[in-house]
Amino acid sequence: MPIVIWQLVFFVFPLIFLVVMSFWLVINYRMVPGWDTVNWTKMYSKGYFWDTYWRTLAYAMIATITTTILAFPCSFALAFKVSATLRRWALFFLIVPFFTSYLVRIYSWQIFLNDNGIFNRMFDYLGLGPFHLLNNFFGTLVGYLTLCLPLAVVLQLISLANVDRNLIEAAHNLGCGRLKTVFLVIVPMAKIGIILGAVFTFILSFGDFVSPYYLGGSKPPTLSILIIDTTKSGQQWPRAAVVAVTMIITLLTIMFASVSAAYRKKP
Amino acid sequence: MTRLSGQNLLLRGYVVLVFVFVFTPIVTSFVFSVNSDRFPTIPLGHFTTHWYETIFADPDIWEAFRVSALVSVSVATLATFIGFCTAYTDYRYNFTGKALYLSLALLPPTIPLVIMGLAMLALLARINMSGQIHSIVVSHVVLCAPFAMAVVRMRLAQINPDLEPAAWNLGASPWRAMREVIIPFCRPAIASAFCLTAAVSFDEFAVAWFVSGLNKTVPVMILEILQGNTDPQINAIGSIVFAISMSLVVIAQLIFFRKASAPTTTGI
Amino acid sequence: MPNTSEARPLVSFEGVTKHYGTVAAVHAMDLDIYAGEFLALMGPSGCGKTTSLRMLAGLEEPTEGEIRLDGKRINEIDSADRDTPMVWQSLALFPFLSVRQNVEFGLKMRKIPSGDRQQRAMEWLERLEIADLAERDISQLSGGQRQRVALARSLVTEPRILLLDEPLSALDANLVVKMQGVLSRLQKELGITFVYVTHSQSEAFAMSDRVVIMSQGRIEQIGSPKTIYRNPTSRFVADFVGSNNIFCGTVSKEGATLQVNTSVGCFSCSPDNDENSFPMGSTLNMVISSDLVQISLTTPEAANQVRCRFISEEFVGSIVTVFAELENGADFKVQVRQRDLADLGLKAGAVFYASWKATDVHLISESA
Repeated sequence: MPIVIWQLVFFVFPLIFLVVMSFWLVINYRMVPGWDTVNWTKMYSKGYFWDTYWRTLAYAMIATITTTILAFPCSFALAFKVSATLRRWALFFLIVPFFTSYLVRIYSWQIFLNDNGIFNRMFDYLGLGPFHLLNNFFGTLVGYLTLCLPLAVVLQLISLANVDRNLIEAAHNLGCGRLKTVFLVIVPMAKIGIILGAVFTFILSFGDFVSPYYLGGSKPPTLSILIIDTTKSGQQWPRAAVVAVTMIITLLTIMFASVSAAYRKKP
Repeated sequence: MTRLSGQNLLLRGYVVLVFVFVFTPIVTSFVFSVNSDRFPTIPLGHFTTHWYETIFADPDIWEAFRVSALVSVSVATLATFIGFCTAYTDYRYNFTGKALYLSLALLPPTIPLVIMGLAMLALLARINMSGQIHSIVVSHVVLCAPFAMAVVRMRLAQINPDLEPAAWNLGASPWRAMREVIIPFCRPAIASAFCLTAAVSFDEFAVAWFVSGLNKTVPVMILEILQGNTDPQINAIGSIVFAISMSLVVIAQLIFFRKASAPTTTGI
Repeated sequence: MPNTSEARPLVSFEGVTKHYGTVAAVHAMDLDIYAGEFLALMGPSGCGKTTSLRMLAGLEEPTEGEIRLDGKRINEIDSADRDTPMVWQSLALFPFLSVRQNVEFGLKMRKIPSGDRQQRAMEWLERLEIADLAERDISQLSGGQRQRVALARSLVTEPRILLLDEPLSALDANLVVKMQGVLSRLQKELGITFVYVTHSQSEAFAMSDRVVIMSQGRIEQIGSPKTIYRNPTSRFVADFVGSNNIFCGTVSKEGATLQVNTSVGCFSCSPDNDENSFPMGSTLNMVISSDLVQISLTTPEAANQVRCRFISEEFVGSIVTVFAELENGADFKVQVRQRDLADLGLKAGAVFYASWKATDVHLISESA
């Protein structure tokens, strides 16, 4: 059981400490252990905090929906329309991005998206633009997609590839058209992978600070940026902890709801 | 059937589009790492190795690579060991609280890195362990162990469950059976887990940024350059990091698939 | 039984060929299937029986030839628009739907209003005696219950033809017999066509009106179970069906009663039901069904006899198959009642005589 101890000491304990810390005080730029709810009341009474909270939630939701919808035709095609060899290669190439620096990829998008970047140069040749693609939500969304799309495709693909082909044939055989079969049979069968992909997309984009910072322009901020700003400015760690704990609670709620939806049987 | 093949064509085109989206930033980074322009855009400038030369001449970057290498090897060793133990426990034993145990083992990747970073920093600072190389190692092991566990667990799922009892039956002690049967069987998975966790650790920047202090890893270095101005050095560093990570991943894949497909179960 | 010779076939295969790459799974198949018959497609695995069924269901497209349903070419018609429901070996029940929703699926696709749909689904569940399971999940059912759900799901749209692909192969032996009864009864009550793919002789013979024996993508023989069993027209069928002793030989005397020279002796044969004539000197296969052989401890009076050494026995209920060896080392098998064997007191290693009537021999020309 040394593993349990390791995980307790270095995973659970830091998170508990985070909760505890959210009740500490900061006096003269030094943290003082205590048991005061002032950080919570201060943070929760700020309109600024709630604006950021709902914005982050909305960003993550939009990223989740966009990613899931964009990923599905791709994973569907890879699961049903290509040979097994091609599918294995595709899977391999979808895993590659996880091992390239996310920061470097984001930096690459800056090269494409900035006002003088590759896309705007191309638009310029066509007599269009310039379009502001960077430092707004579009930029952020591109970043989220960079981070989440391959993962969502992989998770959906694994689920789709395991769908029993006989069930699809049975649906055709019982008079179900091809498009209808996708929604009536394939989606329900691959529900777990689709929901899992969506949940991970939500988790990643909800907590990511790189895309909103370097592609979204950091203003208005998301919760992660808020944590960083609060931490860096004058030792306000307890308030950052308040934000962090709020985020964790939100994530756990969403995760619990989605996972129970994934494994629930239809009534 | 012509209508259908039209649809298939459309779907295939879409798949290509997705892959273009995924690989554009990766390829771009490499292209601009050998491009002369200070402010990268099109049309391209001329070929140059200038950016590689500047980073190789920079002792800070050498130091960052040294720290990164040290961290990722330590992390890979520890995380693989923990991952193996966790996976084996899950495979062999049933006990009350197993669900809790498993969620504890697999939950870390679901906590945003910023929060993990903050929590780690807060705790380690409190016990005077922050700002050192081992503070990065500890944090990364927590993040990487679940990946190692997943890889080993997948391999254990392929093992014939009678194999280990058979070894006991032939007179092997539990430890001996583990050494003679389970570990040889899992060797490819263990090697893959080692490479994967090393690669994950080598690329991780958020938690490392919080807890590293003055011992910057390569990704933390990139993050700090990124906060400054546009600098094609990032592309050069990124390409090197990519090459290193990819070698690790390819090695992991090769080991896993070559050995996993071999029919021997105890082969050494 | 329908009059198969006059009625227009419900389904016809005309020169149907199916290639997978360079491999021909089905080769130039001609087959008529009539309304109301129970037809079994039987053969070893890889013989093309399942491929034929899938082409009929619209799940595979023939490479060449035509499949007609009611005289109309259906090659290009999508499975969804054919009304040729199929029961899969895996049953292919939708695990995310309840029993009733599974049965309703086909009706839903035909846009039948919900109330009507539910009522018809329930009627079929009652008919198959599983109405009380209507709201269960598929995962909660036993093998036999799933079988019934799959049948109800395919029959609820009241098709004229039902395709079954080894539906009983996953069941326990005793359940198989029970479900055979259910299937036979259903088919007779409904009067619709069943096309039943199986590799099991007992299933095919127990239920079907006609049996099609296939091998390597070709039809070897079509006929009633009895015809196939007693009068196989090729060595393959004689080997595959029943429990036959087959010896290759040449005709040494022509006439109503032939003399056939084989490696195990010379035998007289007067098959009464063969149209083939075998001229002097022609080679042929002599088939002696193991259930038409008598055994004795002393030399019998019959003209056709062989001396055997008892090797082993295999019980199937009250019938025993005795595996024996002839003097030249050839295998010979005999089916006798367990009682008869006990009366003779035969044991492994013992020597006995096997004999058969000249009229019980079946002859197949060597070319077939």
